[in-house]
Amino acid sequence: MLLKVNNVEVIYNDVILVLKGVNMTMEEGSCIALLGANGAGKTTTLAAISGIIKSEDGKVTSGSIEFDGQRVDNQSVESNVARGLIHVMEGRKVLQHMTVEKNLIVGGHVLKSGAEVKQRIENVYTLIPRLAELRKRTAGYLSGGEQQMLVIGRALMANPRLILIDEPSLGLAPLMVEEVFKILKELRKSGISLFIVEQNTQAALEVADYGYVMENGRIVMDGEADQLMKNEDVREFYLGLNMEGERKSYRDVKHYKRRKRWLG
Amino acid sequence: MIGEFLDYAINGALIGLLYALVAMGFVVIYRASKVFNFAQGELVVVGGFIVWWLTLGMGLPWYFAIPLAFLLAAIVGYVIERLFFSKLVGESVFSMVMVTIGLLILIRGIVLVVFGAQVRPFPTIFPLKPIIIGDVLIPQSLLYGGILAVIIALALSWFFNQTRTGLKMTASAEDHQVALSMGISVRMSIAAAWVMGSVISTIGAIIFLSGKSLTFLASEIGFIALPVALLAGLESIGGLILAGIIMGVVQGLAEGYLDPIVGGSVGSILPFFIMVFILFVRPTGLFGWKTIERV
Repeated sequence: MLLKVNNVEVIYNDVILVLKGVNMTMEEGSCIALLGANGAGKTTTLAAISGIIKSEDGKVTSGSIEFDGQRVDNQSVESNVARGLIHVMEGRKVLQHMTVEKNLIVGGHVLKSGAEVKQRIENVYTLIPRLAELRKRTAGYLSGGEQQMLVIGRALMANPRLILIDEPSLGLAPLMVEEVFKILKELRKSGISLFIVEQNTQAALEVADYGYVMENGRIVMDGEADQLMKNEDVREFYLGLNMEGERKSYRDVKHYKRRKRWLG
Repeated sequence: MIGEFLDYAINGALIGLLYALVAMGFVVIYRASKVFNFAQGELVVVGGFIVWWLTLGMGLPWYFAIPLAFLLAAIVGYVIERLFFSKLVGESVFSMVMVTIGLLILIRGIVLVVFGAQVRPFPTIFPLKPIIIGDVLIPQSLLYGGILAVIIALALSWFFNQTRTGLKMTASAEDHQVALSMGISVRMSIAAAWVMGSVISTIGAIIFLSGKSLTFLASEIGFIALPVALLAGLESIGGLILAGIIMGVVQGLAEGYLDPIVGGSVGSILPFFIMVFILFVRPTGLFGWKTIERV
């Protein structure tokens, strides 16, 4: 078992209970998708796993998170990154004033030697050739899709075993979304485990083996990705499709969202 | 006439480079922590008193005392960061700035308590005899200080832009949260910046005070260096050299030509006028990081 999230509760500022007994597991080399509406607690789940939650005035108050058999819920982000647990934050957080290549060099700060960094950069360029073309460009001036590729490339520099990636398709044009998910599929083939938080349910479930649906800080449904794709609720709630595969009108979906609660 | 102009301009440029050196302390700390350290001048005074204590107080030879002074200044910077700023990561900029003002008052108080208010002679590290080129008289401390400022600026630019450790510190400067998500210790980056800022201030103290007298009032150089840091842009180390020369030459020429006409002080206040003007028209300075917004 690579990752085990066991009955985790997260509280922000000692007051706001965001995650309420979340359970998840994932095997090495697999890919899971965490789906849910805005405010469901998906990003908080990633922050709790990577350890970044502590810098956001949040903490895991009960339960445990294990990565490769070791507790990581009270560990620093630095030590988790050293273990190969890398968090790619939502919003394409490139280092704006640095070039693409320097972003990658910083991403590889855990590597021991400069030669290793160079080798890894070449590997990233092989996997994402667009970055090689942009290597001297200032990251802040790249397009949204290119920035997303860069943050994925930067995560690869740290020799990851598990990449936690938050909303990789957010704000991207459909063609760019396709490009980004193509890269994620390539990563899977290379054996890296992926934990994708995504609102683009279709795209996420096409890459993932297994999916979890979250609402109000709880996991309300989980299952094999292809099963979730066929699930009536998921189809209606997240894909806006009816059982015949026809797209429902926006008005119907909106009405449905108001009416339907997973645990209602 | 030309000789007089060159004298004002060259000496002004060299003094400007000294301001740039002190401003490097501001910039190094600001880049890492986003804290504008109003106590930078006090760090110069602390560095000065450490050098004075080791050389004239303890009687150590300067070639031994100066490296030791750098070490002690580094410890002071590290302790300040641990005591006052390490717990404030993520807090508002306003809180941090208020702490630097508190630090300014605290350091002044400690210096007065420990060393007293009396004027003390500072050791002569650089030869007092000026270099004379035509009509231009150049104090050796300023000349060596200017050269040192350029060398340190180049070295710091190289460090922050080309080395892996420097790039990590630059990443922390860009965005604490992003740096943290990559596993970079933001706290260590900030501590390293305070150590560097303190050592740079001690170098500034040695150049500024060599052969002069030392009191806590020497901290004024921190405020004089402020317009240089803002003109360059608070993230730019290389830009400080150009900004320092511009400010120094403007100040030198104003002192030489305008002060006798109006009865003084134009040279002292002109850099601050330029600072206000720059803040109006180009708040990020000549070379500071501009906010990149995607529309």
